[in-house]
Amino acid sequence: MFFHIVLERNMQLHPRHFGRDLREKLVSKLMKDVEGTCSGRHGFIVAITGIESVGKGLIRDGTGFVTFPVKYQCVVFRPFKGEILEAVVTMVNKMGFFAEAGPVQIFVSNHLIPDDMEFQSGDVPNYTTSDGSVKIQKESEVRLKIIGTRVDATEIFCIGTIKDDFLGVISDPGANA
Amino acid sequence: MSEKGGKGFAVPKSGKSALKSSASKGKDDSSAKSKRGRKVQFDSEGSLDTNSTKSNGKADIPSFKGDSGKGGKGEKAASGGKSKTAKAPDPLELRVEQELPENTICLMDCEAADILQGIQEQMVVLSEDPAIKLPVSFDRGLTYAQRNRLYHNPQAVKQILKPLKEYGVSDGELCMIANFHLESVDEVFALVPSFKTKKSKLRVPLENVLAELAKLRRAA
Repeated sequence: MFFHIVLERNMQLHPRHFGRDLREKLVSKLMKDVEGTCSGRHGFIVAITGIESVGKGLIRDGTGFVTFPVKYQCVVFRPFKGEILEAVVTMVNKMGFFAEAGPVQIFVSNHLIPDDMEFQSGDVPNYTTSDGSVKIQKESEVRLKIIGTRVDATEIFCIGTIKDDFLGVISDPGANA
Repeated sequence: MSEKGGKGFAVPKSGKSALKSSASKGKDDSSAKSKRGRKVQFDSEGSLDTNSTKSNGKADIPSFKGDSGKGGKGEKAASGGKSKTAKAPDPLELRVEQELPENTICLMDCEAADILQGIQEQMVVLSEDPAIKLPVSFDRGLTYAQRNRLYHNPQAVKQILKPLKEYGVSDGELCMIANFHLESVDEVFALVPSFKTKKSKLRVPLENVLAELAKLRRAA
């Protein structure tokens, strides 16, 4: 789910940037430093939307660097356990399938795929029901529930399930073909 | 430990009943039903605290394990009690508000799409500065928000959802309703397990909200 949130960060700036455009320099450094990063608490920082305040700078002992506390607003994307997401399948194999919902990667193990869906290997590996009416393959859109998350320095990885009511394929790219 | 002894004692009689009685023992402080079990267990506890470990040390451990597993799992069907209150929230219940800082606003996908699109348009102007580049997660986030966007007027959606707040529905739950093409109240209850306790209260207002949202989707 997306959130709008206020975060704070101490930004260190080299004295060569001091001048009229100090604030702009701070903001562009902030954008470079934090956009695209992720943490377990806040999820992915997708974009900075505004600066709330820039505090007074503090000179670091022994260096010319100055630390500015910057409060900024940003849009974050964080998956939660129990959250429902609609994700696009990126890879299917006999172990299950991988899907993407925004910046988040999700793996759905074959144990968490309904029992009536079986893996079919071939050019386009997929999970299909015995009557062929439902198919999960690359590019399919599935509604899934997050049951576990793991946060890395650069990505958030989730475990999902489609073995529950009202979960499963929403759109099948093969259906139109 | 003494509990363990009690269970260990019960095992030789019959495995299953031992599990159950010990399960009730865990909650017996409040439940009237378990009074009988409590006495039996209490007696056995005193006399067999050491005995059981000697005579049936091995059986003791599995019975305890099995019991704890069962206590966790079977609590819904069983007679409630202590373990239920301890584990009250479903592990897969969405608890957005508790896990994020206070000044956090949940965004519906349509709102996020608007904000991110705005930023992308601004970036076209700013793109002359090579130092500023949008990260991959921005593009993915934007693609996700745009694909999942169901409404073009987030304010109207908020207005429609507002009455649900009176029933204690949180912002995170409201966003869940707004983010998906939900057709029935049962679908909402299935996807938002935290509504489980207020089903009867929420059914009618949810029906109204879903009908209004459907109208809005058709109008778009």
